[in-house]
Amino acid sequence: MTTLLFILFAGLAIGSAIAMVSQSNPLYSAISLIGVFISLASIYVTLAAPFIAAVQVIVYAGAIMVLVIFVIMLLNVEHSEPRRRRLKFLVPLALGMAAILLAETAFILYSVQTTATQLPSNVSNVGLTGSIGEGLFTTYLLPFEVTSILLLMAIVGAMSLARRSAVLSATARVVPGAQVLAMDIVNRRAVGDLRPVETETTEEAAQLLGVDFQDRSEQE
Amino acid sequence: MDWNNQYIHSLVLIVAITVAFLTIMLLVAATVLAERRVLAFIQGRLGPNRVGYGGVLQPFADFIKTMMKEDLVPDQSTRFVFLLAPMIAIITAIMAIIVYPFGPTVTLPFLGTFPLRIAQFDVALLYVLGVTSVGVYGIALAGWSSNNKYSLMGGLRSSAQMISYELALGLSLIGVILLSGTLDIYQIVEQQSGWWGMQWNIIYQPLGFILYLIAAIAETNRVPFDLPEAETELVAGFHTEYSSIKFLLFFNAEYINMITVSMLATTLFLGGWNGPGVTQFPLLGVVYFFAKILLFLFIYIWLRGTLPRFRFDQLMNFGWKFLLPAAILNIIVTATFLFLKGGD
Repeated sequence: MTTLLFILFAGLAIGSAIAMVSQSNPLYSAISLIGVFISLASIYVTLAAPFIAAVQVIVYAGAIMVLVIFVIMLLNVEHSEPRRRRLKFLVPLALGMAAILLAETAFILYSVQTTATQLPSNVSNVGLTGSIGEGLFTTYLLPFEVTSILLLMAIVGAMSLARRSAVLSATARVVPGAQVLAMDIVNRRAVGDLRPVETETTEEAAQLLGVDFQDRSEQE
Repeated sequence: MDWNNQYIHSLVLIVAITVAFLTIMLLVAATVLAERRVLAFIQGRLGPNRVGYGGVLQPFADFIKTMMKEDLVPDQSTRFVFLLAPMIAIITAIMAIIVYPFGPTVTLPFLGTFPLRIAQFDVALLYVLGVTSVGVYGIALAGWSSNNKYSLMGGLRSSAQMISYELALGLSLIGVILLSGTLDIYQIVEQQSGWWGMQWNIIYQPLGFILYLIAAIAETNRVPFDLPEAETELVAGFHTEYSSIKFLLFFNAEYINMITVSMLATTLFLGGWNGPGVTQFPLLGVVYFFAKILLFLFIYIWLRGTLPRFRFDQLMNFGWKFLLPAAILNIIVTATFLFLKGGD
């Protein structure tokens, strides 16, 4: 039964992986990648690692791929002409990588078959949530915390890169008359603040925006 | 009967899954009818009351009518994804049911003693969250593949909304997990038995319960968070181009999601099948379980009759700036309390 399930899900995983690299439409590739993740999660279940399986589905299939699909949908990538020539120089490199990967697989197979199997003392406990949590918060506490700080740094970095105030172009001008401006244009620190700022005269608006109104009118 | 025999076990599982599936489908029909009638009463109307006694056959009549409609696939749509999307929606919705215990271990005449559940495993709660998170694809891909501006807007809105509220949903459950020390839903229910309901997690996790309820309503795209299918702006949102049986699949998926979310609230916060007299009459547990689910479904309908829809920026601000910090606060308070209390 387990072998049957393994063959089923391994076949699905390999099929989805091949579909992922061979598709020209990025959305199809993304869907195939989700197929790979879910098949792998199913294999983890048969290998008595239910926690890893659940996390695989939640994190990879549920969170990361949703973002990828979100971006693809948002950008609405056109179905462009396949440009095969551009990356042609990568083919020998890919073949070399594949050879290394195959050699590694063969080595693992060889070493597994030559060494005696040593199962952990309490097999029934290994993949369960409790034992993983115990390991993470006792033996491997430092790596765990370091990883979480790394992730935090990535979040803060992404925020500071993306979070920019509205920038006035050098040729920006003030429209004559009273006007309503958005707060994030007037005050560079009020990022994303769209509260209205009302001005009575053109001079006032120019002063708030830091644009020299008088100067421009004299030039004209 | 020998319940440990492998073949009998498989057979029992198949029967259990069928029973659970039919129960859920009937519950969906009942919810659809109840929604229309209760909503009508809230608005001072009568609602559908002609088909069958008091309108009980209305959902089935609607079902047959919708099935008979022409099954359209838009000419410019991405055909494969267009067909795949409703399947993902319904499969993930149904998959979540198997972890919920419908009742305690019961003894039936001629059948023997067995627990009223389909599956019990270590990571049941994570399984539910995982399946729910995959369910987003059904809506997102439906919106994208229809090649329709309204559908795309609905799909984008719903993916953004579900990503945002999934976090708050997951975090609001961590308080319960901390209290019970397990992810196994069956064990969590059993821990809440006794003491006339004073052991229910809602007593110890009131904030977690409220946060979960709000996040769950947003996660199932219901009023007041039904922006993905805001009729006034987006025609019907992500399922604008879907007709006939594919529309039915989306429709059913939404209602099944409502039911499973109510089941999770019931099992985690309201003690599942626990209630007065369950130890003497175990079958009473099934009644309690479904009564609690119906309570949540009524709250859904009640909210729909009461509240207007959020604006999208309000939705995002509420999710990220209120729900998420409140859920984290709940975790910190619960963890601190458990730490000070000591024990195991």
